[in-house]
Amino acid sequence: MVAVARRSVLIGGAVGAGLLAAGCTAGGPSSPAPTTPAPPDPLLAELADERRLVAGYDATIARHPALRARLTAVRDDHAAHAAALVTALGPAAPPSPTTPAATDSPAASPGVSPTASSGASPGGSPGAAPSTGIESSGGGTGIPATPAAAVAALRAAERAAAAARGTVALTAPPDRARLLAGISASEASHVAVLA
Amino acid sequence: MTAPAPTPTGPGTPTATPSPTPSGTGQVPALQAGLAAEHAVIWGYGVVGAHAGDALLPQVRDADDAHRTLRDDTVALVARYGGTPVATEPEYALPFPVTDRGSALRLAVHLEEGAAAAWRYAVAATDDVAVRRAALVALSDAAVRATRWRLALHTSPATVPFPGD
Repeated sequence: MVAVARRSVLIGGAVGAGLLAAGCTAGGPSSPAPTTPAPPDPLLAELADERRLVAGYDATIARHPALRARLTAVRDDHAAHAAALVTALGPAAPPSPTTPAATDSPAASPGVSPTASSGASPGGSPGAAPSTGIESSGGGTGIPATPAAAVAALRAAERAAAAARGTVALTAPPDRARLLAGISASEASHVAVLA
Repeated sequence: MTAPAPTPTGPGTPTATPSPTPSGTGQVPALQAGLAAEHAVIWGYGVVGAHAGDALLPQVRDADDAHRTLRDDTVALVARYGGTPVATEPEYALPFPVTDRGSALRLAVHLEEGAAAAWRYAVAATDDVAVRRAALVALSDAAVRATRWRLALHTSPATVPFPGD
C-alpha cells in the first residue's frame, strides 16, 4: 500500500514529464527546463471531499429532518475539517463553493491539472477522489428514501473518507500528517455514531 | 533529526533484524510516546473497571484488552527499531476523583483522549510509513472508543473534529 502510494506519485510525475516533453518537441525546442506544471496540492482533493460531505449531510437533513439532531454535530465536524484544510492550503485553497454540490470533481478546482489527475490514480492519488456514495446522487435528489438507508450511505461515506485521509497522511509532511490523521480519526469515530 | 539507523539488537534475534523499512527517521521517539501513553491508559482502565459497574464491564474489558495488545505490539516495534521500550510507572495521577459509574466513564473518555493525543503526535514525529500507519490505527481506535464512551455517558456531541487536540 505504501509502495503503491509512492509509486502513484512517481507515475504522476513521469506522466507529467512525458506530456511536457512531448509538448516541447512538438511546439518548439525553445524552453527545455522549468515549465513543469506544479502537481496539484494533494489537500485540494481532500478539501473537495470534505465539502461534498458537508453538502451530503445538508441534503440528507433536508430530506429527512428527523435526522437533524443526530447528524448536525457530525456535519459540523466536516465543516471544521474543511476550514482547517483551507488554512493548511493557504493561498492555494479554492473559494468556498456557493452551490456546494454543483461540481463534484476536484479537477474543476483552479490549479488542478486534469491530465495529471486522470493519468495516475491507481488508488489514493489526488485524482482519485474517493466516491462517497453521496456525490453521485447529486444534491438532495439522490438521498435514499428511508432514514435508515440514508444513514447507511453516510456511514459508507465516512469509512471511505477516513481511509482516504489516512492514506494521504502516511506520506504527508509532519504538519499535514497531523491534520489529516486527526480528520481521519474523527471520521472513523463518525461511523460509531452512525451505527 | 538525523536518521538513527535501527541498530541490530544482539541477543534478541539471531538473524538480521527484521528491519521494518530501510529508511525513515524518528521511529523510536514516536513509538515511545505512544507506548508511554498506553502504559498510563492500561493503569487507568483498572480504575475504570473498579467503578464502572457490572453492566459496563464487558466493554471495559474489551478496551483494556485492546490497549494491552497495542502495548505489547508497540514494545516489540520499539525493540525492533533498536530502542529500549519505556517501562510503565508504578502509579499515575488521576485527573479527578473516580467514585462511580459516571466518573469512571469520564475517566475512560479522558484515557482515550490521552491515547489519541499521543498517537497523533507519533504520526507527525516520524516519516516512517509503517510506524505512521500503526500510529494512525491506534489514533483512530482511540477516537472510536472515546466516542463510544461519550455515547454511554450521553455526552453531546459524541465526536470531536480533531481527536488528540
